[in-house]
Amino acid sequence: MNLKLLFFANLREKFGFSQKEFTLSKEVRTPEEFLLIMSKQIGGEWINLFEDKRLYKVAINQDISSWKDPILEGDELAIFPPITGG
Amino acid sequence: MTIIIQEDSFSISKMILELSEKDNVGAVVSFSGYVREFSKEKQLKYMELEHYPGMTEKVLESIVQKAKSHWGIEQTTIIHRVGKLLPKDIIVGVIVSSRHRSNAFKACEFIIDFLKTDAPFWKKEISDKGEVWVSERQEDVIKKTNWNKLD
Repeated sequence: MNLKLLFFANLREKFGFSQKEFTLSKEVRTPEEFLLIMSKQIGGEWINLFEDKRLYKVAINQDISSWKDPILEGDELAIFPPITGG
Repeated sequence: MTIIIQEDSFSISKMILELSEKDNVGAVVSFSGYVREFSKEKQLKYMELEHYPGMTEKVLESIVQKAKSHWGIEQTTIIHRVGKLLPKDIIVGVIVSSRHRSNAFKACEFIIDFLKTDAPFWKKEISDKGEVWVSERQEDVIKKTNWNKLD
């Protein structure tokens, strides 16, 4: 399964990238499950992000979504802190 | 509807004039936001603003559409800067025209309130105390929630 992940603001700095393509060996159903898999496979910052996910927002294909919304092959997933524009 | 995200500064008065020259305009209301030089006892050196290209425009279009559905407004311009901003720099402009003033006042406030909480922009402050990502203001969340009575 292929996913495009985007990080913004403090997450971009923590992880050291703003976007990356991921090819996962099995299907991931939700953003929450994606974080869980990454925290198990890679650990480090991913564990912190999984544990602190309620502090962050998620968008699927540029629409604000919840951690339990479905994700599909080729989706664009963005994770970021609360918005502070204007 | 015009939505502009850019690094360069802009003249809000020029944009107000442009909107006032269009048809059916009896009122133009504008909001402009600026970088404050002090915040929470810190002296700001500069600010860095980033956004989510694509989603930002999509969210702003949807906010304007909602404003249009509630109030009979004519034209809307939203302009927001990204990149490095210095104290006193202009950050954002929202300009709304309508036939009568009441609709333009309400729609302008509605748009900036939703922009603050829904449009994916993030601010980082670089001050004499170091660097910090600005956190969400509860007042902004409350202001947005107050508009729910409209639906």
